Amino acid sequence: MTSTANPALDLSVSRVIRAPRSVVWAAWSDPARFEKWWVPAPTICRVLDMDLRPGGGFRTEISDDGAAFEPHISACFLAVDELERIVFTDALVAGWRPAESAFVTSIITMRDHLDGTEYTATALHRSGADRERHERLGFHEGWGTVVDQLARLVEAH
Amino acid sequence: MAQQPERLDGVFLALSDPTRRAVLGRLGAGPASIGELAAPFDMALPSFMKHIRYLENTGWIRTRKTGRVRMCTLEAGSFEAVYGWLSQQRDIWEERTDRLERFATDPATNQEKE
Repeated sequence: MTSTANPALDLSVSRVIRAPRSVVWAAWSDPARFEKWWVPAPTICRVLDMDLRPGGGFRTEISDDGAAFEPHISACFLAVDELERIVFTDALVAGWRPAESAFVTSIITMRDHLDGTEYTATALHRSGADRERHERLGFHEGWGTVVDQLARLVEAH
Repeated sequence: MAQQPERLDGVFLALSDPTRRAVLGRLGAGPASIGELAAPFDMALPSFMKHIRYLENTGWIRTRKTGRVRMCTLEAGSFEAVYGWLSQQRDIWEERTDRLERFATDPATNQEKE
């Protein structure tokens, strides 16, 4: 995972949550609990599908009024390691069927920590271009340089 | 959530080429003419112009003809769009993790599971 990290397209959020890993895992894997925190109130989240196994479907809907729901997540689980890791992508739907569009692969990890659980969410975003081609063209080094240069420029304004 | 990246595809794709990245890097130092930008590359002008047009069409640069010289200027907007989009995604995940934390550490919601 680290070998393919692309700072301009990936993001990672880490937090130590002062709760046992089983509780954090339950908050993620129990649809009734998941619905309570996944989207900000007053938006309501409804889990249609949370088939926690590789190839399992993951679908949610959201609503602002509790009456009209619209699709939110449509994804497929790629890896599910009890109490440790959940990986899903919207590039696929249930049963590994290719989706209409691909945007992100999300990796959720949970580890024991002295103060509770070390929770990390990593999102790998699509660049819109073929990865192999990127590597051939030295994409990974070049991207960082351009971004740094442009960052300095924008900050200077 | 899925629409913005579609719009950004061209912006990202423009950065997938070393010539275009070099051009953007050079323009970071200030506006330059096509001739100045093309000089470091062993490339026929029509090929180089394709890159310039690509950058122009994806909103990375602006070009303007003054007399016989076409000048190129960096558009900070594209960079901000890429950066802004990513930081927006970051905010979504940060806030989501805040809510998970509040939920998981709230004794009232977790009594039965422990």
